[in-house]
Amino acid sequence: MTDLLTAVAIIFLVAGPFLLVANRFDLPTVPFLVLAGIVAGGFIDDTDLLLELAYYGIALLVFTFGTRIDLSGVRAVLADGELAALGQILVVGSLGVGFGIVLGVPPMEAVYLGIAAALSSTIVGTALLERTVNSDPVRGRLVRSIQFVQDLLAILFILLLGAGSLEVGYVGPALASGVALLLAALLANRYLFDIIGQLAGDSDELMILGVVALLTVFVGAAEFAGVPIVVGAFAAGLAVRYDPVDYLGLFNGLQSIRDFFVAIFFVTIGALVVFPFVGDIGWAESVEKLVLVAGLVVLTAVVKPAITTAILVARGYEARSATLASLHTDQVSEFALIIAIQAYMLDAVSPAIFDAIILAAAITMVTSSLTHRYDEQIYRTLADRGVITGRHDRVDAWSDVPADLTDHVIIVGYGRQGRTLVEACEEMDHPYVVIENDPARREEIARECEAIVVGDAMETYTWEKANVDDAKLVVSTVNSQPVSRRVLSLDTDAEVTLRAADRATALELLDAGALYVGQPDLLAGQQLARQVRELLEGDLTREQLREQQQDELERRADYIPLHLR
Amino acid sequence: MVTEVALTVDLAVIILSATLAGFVAKRTGQPTIIAYILAGVVIGPAALEIVETSALTELLSELGLAFLLFLLGIKMRLDEVRHVLSPIVKISIPQMLAVFLAGMGVALALPPFGLLESFLIGLAVMYSSTAVVIKMLNDKDEATSLHGKIDVGVLLVQDIVVVIILAVLAAGRPDDLAEVATTLAVVLVLVAIITVAAIGASRSVLPTVFRRIADNKDVFFLVAISWAFLFVFVSDNINLFLEPFGITAYLSIEMGAFMAGLAIAQLPYSKELQDRVNPLTDLFVMVFFVSVALDLEAAELLAHWEAAIIAALVLMPVKFLVFFFLLDWQGFDSETTFLGSINMIQVSEFGIIVMAVAADGDFVGDEVLGFMTLLAIFTMAVSVYFVEFNHALYDRFEPTIDRWTGDGGFEGGKHEYRDHAVVIGYDDVTKNVLPLLADRYEDVVVVDRTVSHIETVEQEGYDAIYGDFRNSTIRKDAAVKKADFVLSSSVQPVVNNALLREVNDDATVFVEAERVDHARDLYANGAHCVIMTPHLAADRLADYLRAYLEDEDDALVEAFDNDIELLEKPDPIPSDRDRLGGGLDD
Repeated sequence: MTDLLTAVAIIFLVAGPFLLVANRFDLPTVPFLVLAGIVAGGFIDDTDLLLELAYYGIALLVFTFGTRIDLSGVRAVLADGELAALGQILVVGSLGVGFGIVLGVPPMEAVYLGIAAALSSTIVGTALLERTVNSDPVRGRLVRSIQFVQDLLAILFILLLGAGSLEVGYVGPALASGVALLLAALLANRYLFDIIGQLAGDSDELMILGVVALLTVFVGAAEFAGVPIVVGAFAAGLAVRYDPVDYLGLFNGLQSIRDFFVAIFFVTIGALVVFPFVGDIGWAESVEKLVLVAGLVVLTAVVKPAITTAILVARGYEARSATLASLHTDQVSEFALIIAIQAYMLDAVSPAIFDAIILAAAITMVTSSLTHRYDEQIYRTLADRGVITGRHDRVDAWSDVPADLTDHVIIVGYGRQGRTLVEACEEMDHPYVVIENDPARREEIARECEAIVVGDAMETYTWEKANVDDAKLVVSTVNSQPVSRRVLSLDTDAEVTLRAADRATALELLDAGALYVGQPDLLAGQQLARQVRELLEGDLTREQLREQQQDELERRADYIPLHLR
Repeated sequence: MVTEVALTVDLAVIILSATLAGFVAKRTGQPTIIAYILAGVVIGPAALEIVETSALTELLSELGLAFLLFLLGIKMRLDEVRHVLSPIVKISIPQMLAVFLAGMGVALALPPFGLLESFLIGLAVMYSSTAVVIKMLNDKDEATSLHGKIDVGVLLVQDIVVVIILAVLAAGRPDDLAEVATTLAVVLVLVAIITVAAIGASRSVLPTVFRRIADNKDVFFLVAISWAFLFVFVSDNINLFLEPFGITAYLSIEMGAFMAGLAIAQLPYSKELQDRVNPLTDLFVMVFFVSVALDLEAAELLAHWEAAIIAALVLMPVKFLVFFFLLDWQGFDSETTFLGSINMIQVSEFGIIVMAVAADGDFVGDEVLGFMTLLAIFTMAVSVYFVEFNHALYDRFEPTIDRWTGDGGFEGGKHEYRDHAVVIGYDDVTKNVLPLLADRYEDVVVVDRTVSHIETVEQEGYDAIYGDFRNSTIRKDAAVKKADFVLSSSVQPVVNNALLREVNDDATVFVEAERVDHARDLYANGAHCVIMTPHLAADRLADYLRAYLEDEDDALVEAFDNDIELLEKPDPIPSDRDRLGGGLDD
């Protein structure tokens, strides 16, 4: 057994218990891997060899990020996104640089602090995002586009900082090489990828190997061109067509390989950190490091979300949507870690800055997962104390409610259900008003509906605007507990129907006074059982069912809500 | 000076050449292993001399071996092999003895080899190739047929023997026979201890630990790897642990990895893990096979090429005959006997490993390793064609074969799914349908990735498979290809399209979708019914609203009551909130 194998064995041995702890408390794994590294660092003498393995981790991390980008979808994400929110990067980045300079950090190194403060995470962020995206499309859309653009910027930073400084002699050729690699990737995506697919035939093993070979070629090309391998790995990822149906085995396999090496990367990063007040590190140094860490943490976990919220509110988003979306940006990105380790290898940053970035990343990843868990409470607390105030002028400007609206139906949420309900009301010529919180869709809704309030259902002003006092019925189509509770707590004579994701919640809400609670799964289950019974008992042939269902589908197909298109 | 850490050129060359060779092999129907070994020969010192082994390639090839054995361990579910256990043991032990004697005899008869070398050659040729046989069986979808199961079982017994022999060889060159005996005894005791530890863990600690993490895909995978490295680390450093007691002993890291896998295999989550570990293993094993030849000069590889070809021509028929008579003796029918034997005629990659370890321990020279490599490459290449055309061969020679075989009396084999119902995902939508399906189909299999759902499903008396439907092992296990009815409650187009591709034309398929364009795709791909939960809910709600606005109170109240009654039925699924809000201990 080689020394390297011993080192890898130690990495995973130490990481195991830390992962169990992370899982026990439902926290993200990355910071715990870094922590494991800090511990494992005591047992591993020679980190040079490990660094090479860690580099494969970086390459694979960026590579798989690249493979998941569906080239045809990029434009849609960018068009859909709230790019103004990216002003946040500029503001927080400058603050980070300024903070560094105030502490006497050389300007070039301060740039790294700025980057670390400005960029937010993808892996941690998206993992947390998946839980909320279904129940809150506005937030999902905002966060996804903000993070996606940040990731692209991160790649650009890595490219530009590839020499550890911004010398003109490097930057020009590097940009040219980067563009050349991207073009090569696009060509490979169009032509080469299919050839690999054909050559590999039905063998997942060969397909994975072929794609790893593709990665190798691009990384080699990047190295040859003198730009960071991360750029090559990203280009290689773009060269792989995102087609998880045809290449299911490939994407599953890459995931395993990536997870293995990425774990090594994060643990190794931890092993490089010199912890303040531990081992042979002086008092003054420790304090300096702690100040840096604290500064970065404050910038990332407090200042960044605050600025993002301010920008989003200024763009017309409701205070709540803006705050909740901003809470997804309150951590240091994995990309910042990659940029930091690259700088460290080039001696472009001092160990103190490097350690500060890594520690701040670990800390903010944990705090970030906590702020997501309690995001509604955080928003409530801030809103109740008047720290965050919504801007009613926007609500007034964008809303369109007839003054004499009484005995009307209030429809909360203009998704599939909301739309169908509006149709029903119009069919019966009954007055209604729609409450929707996504300002990006206001024009579409205004076009299609008679009355609309663009505002957050959690806010009292929204309900005043919708004249809930004189309403006959409130139908909430929003799959969110806090919204349901808010609707039930309204001081009105109107009856209330709600929506719930699971049965227990539905029963609770009924108990709490709802007239009716819709639970989509239950309805689907009922219908499914009926169809299966008909089929098994021979009342219906498969072909009949198929035709019947397809007709039904086309009847519904005239309408697809914007955010699902 | 851009990137201080340059990635090794060696590894890049290995990956590229292996890929090219792999593609060529795929075109010509050769197993990839041969392609990798040949790629190693070409880029190594034997031919082009462009690559040498480095610390990194050494690490990856060591990991390759460890992971291969770990994977094998994970596949070894004791209760799945139990019913063929007795015939398998009765076949494999005499088989190895006979082939060992034949191998040693052939080697002795050949001029280049002395007694020790012949003895080790005998030890190295006893096994058939796990990689070749299992890969071919999987490709031909015969891994669960009776002859497939016998072959897999025999291969596993052989692998255990390999692991023990590797452990003995790892101890280095002994001075006398007594020392061999002591080493063997210490190794056997250590193997016994580590086996007990592994099995003990699989009964006590592991179920609790893995039950907690099974729902978290990434943690699950990394903790399993951490578990494997625990055994690898202990096996590798066993000497340090035993030194204070004055005992010198070595265990192979392969042994440790195998035992770590075996412990996990007994948990219900092992199938899922197989698919996660497999790609890593493929990649690392590739590096292993390429680097086999990297240490060999052309002179060493080809030193005994005549001997290798003669040995191959003798050993393949001998292996076939030994298997043929042993299987027949165990009472298998003539087809099973023939197929089970013809698959196993090659020399295993473990033969190369055994010889490589022996060469490391200075038992033999590198040219014997070259001989072994050549022998393995040659027999594997030839055997692939025999496996490929085994049914045709049987049909051609059936009368002759029947004359030599007794009456097949062996009955048994695990129940196989056919014309059954597969339900992917257990939730509020699908659970109502299970009783209906159970009335109609003999077998209803539920695939789900949440541990608590699996437990509920099993309590209700259905077959349950824990795992992600995207993984091929899981799909194979549920026998989706042979299902008559498939229902998927996944809304991911990826899963559903993969499903539609795999089912046979006669199957009825229900899937779910969230978007109209996905639903269209699914119909175009052959789905019979696409359930669109949000649309259904929207329609229903609109109906209620109409009734409400028209003051049709009676109808509305009745409809509400019906829905509420449905809601209030006792819930067999713990809701997600309960699961997250604590209670992870149960």
